[in-house]
Amino acid sequence: MDIHVENLVQIWDDGGDGIVALEGISHHFRSQKLTCVLGPSGCGKSTLVQIVGGIETASGGTIRIVDPARPGEVARPGERSVMMWQNLNLFPWRNVLDNVAFGLEMAGVPRRERYARAAEMIATVGLKGFEHKQCSQLSGGMRQRVALARALIMDQPILLMDEPFAALDAQTKIVMQEELARTFERTKKTILFVTHAIDEAILLGDEVVVMTARPGRIKEVIPIDLPRPRSQDLINTPEFGAYFDRILHLIREEVLNAMLQQNEAVDG
Amino acid sequence: MAKASRKRNKDPLWLQALPFASAVLFLAAWEAVVRLKGLPPIILPAPSSIARYLVAMIADGSLPYNLLVTFLRIMAGFLVAAVFGVLFGVLMGMSRVAARVLDPWIAALYPLPKISLIPLLIIWLGTGEAYILTISAVTAFFPILISTYAGIRQTDLGLVRAARDLGASARQVQMKVVIPAAVPSIFSGLHLGMGVTIILVVAAEMIGGSNQSGMGYLLIRFGQVMETEKVFATLVVLAVFGGVIIKTQQRIDGWIAPWAAGRH
Repeated sequence: MDIHVENLVQIWDDGGDGIVALEGISHHFRSQKLTCVLGPSGCGKSTLVQIVGGIETASGGTIRIVDPARPGEVARPGERSVMMWQNLNLFPWRNVLDNVAFGLEMAGVPRRERYARAAEMIATVGLKGFEHKQCSQLSGGMRQRVALARALIMDQPILLMDEPFAALDAQTKIVMQEELARTFERTKKTILFVTHAIDEAILLGDEVVVMTARPGRIKEVIPIDLPRPRSQDLINTPEFGAYFDRILHLIREEVLNAMLQQNEAVDG
Repeated sequence: MAKASRKRNKDPLWLQALPFASAVLFLAAWEAVVRLKGLPPIILPAPSSIARYLVAMIADGSLPYNLLVTFLRIMAGFLVAAVFGVLFGVLMGMSRVAARVLDPWIAALYPLPKISLIPLLIIWLGTGEAYILTISAVTAFFPILISTYAGIRQTDLGLVRAARDLGASARQVQMKVVIPAAVPSIFSGLHLGMGVTIILVVAAEMIGGSNQSGMGYLLIRFGQVMETEKVFATLVVLAVFGGVIIKTQQRIDGWIAPWAAGRH
């Protein structure tokens, strides 16, 4: 699905003039590509994907979500997408199977069928045998897999991911990045992946959208021209290093800006 | 790994024995003081004589009978309070209209010490079972209602958004997310409610008690005739009984919603 974002504006009500979170974001997120949205904390990158996912409504601007095969039909934000959340938002009172089957249950899929499909999806993400565990009994990486399975079972063409791996330890993060890369290569979904980790963005993305500090604007769009399938070995190549330096340079400016803004907020 | 964790859980023997030692030491000191000072049993009976009375009262059936009566009254009051408390709490949490209608009543009645309603209730209902049931249920109703309401209101917005994103309708969000998410709060309300039900039933048996039964009635009667050993024996049973009820309730919580156990 192509996602055309045009002049998106988001202003938070703070009782006064409002806080500008997003200021005129325009971008074409390309169909069946993995686009990473990278930026300093508070730059509005989460807000951007939440608007694309129909979870929040923008103050201004337009979003057109279209299947390139059927250019006449425009989908509403959220209609053809599913979100994987930063804090996962697993339902603690449901076991793994019932968490994964949640979307099917809401859609009225009969119990036997939804459990069969959920079990299959759980096996796909490598959690076979954990169907009846409570989520609180699982490790961080396993909980991520549950959340991924719960999103994938919706079978939506767009997958929105809001810093899902931010809280993981380094080793688990590598495994989950590889898992996501495999999922992407297998399913050919259109993925928007929010992150603040430069290496993650380069490793995963076909394109990295670098955002500015608040108010969030697009600073630069960098296509990542590295062959797939990619692995962690890529990190040691000169090409990867060149991308990293370029993005680091962009991001450093913005992080400094963000820090200055925070200081002003404290002083003022 | 398993070995290490087992080791950590197992305190040294003397530490495990300490609670018992502490209790035994206290009772021994009590016994000694009473005997050496020759205190009259009306003021402070020795543990050994309390134990003798306890055994006798269990054997003659008076303690088991009155405990059963009190237990049934507590259950009746608690069940009525639980049903109405959870029902109204959910209603208020889900409907702004209901919340607005009920709010002034709760604001007015919640801070009122419910025990001060006893004279009115005795005028209206007499001193029989209806009065005991009403006073205990009304008292337990409020903490259950307020915990339920708070639990519903404090539902994690992230879970609601996730459910909507996964295709849940407004009604499905309420039934499949908001209510289950409130279960830990509801449980803590039920625990508070059980606590006050026990207090109010025993108090009502002491103050009204025209049926002349129940643990509260026993306490007042033995107190009036200064049978201090029997007062102590009744208190011992009441304390153990309260502990058993609370433990049982925790077990039931863990059984119904293992994920919520210990979270409230």
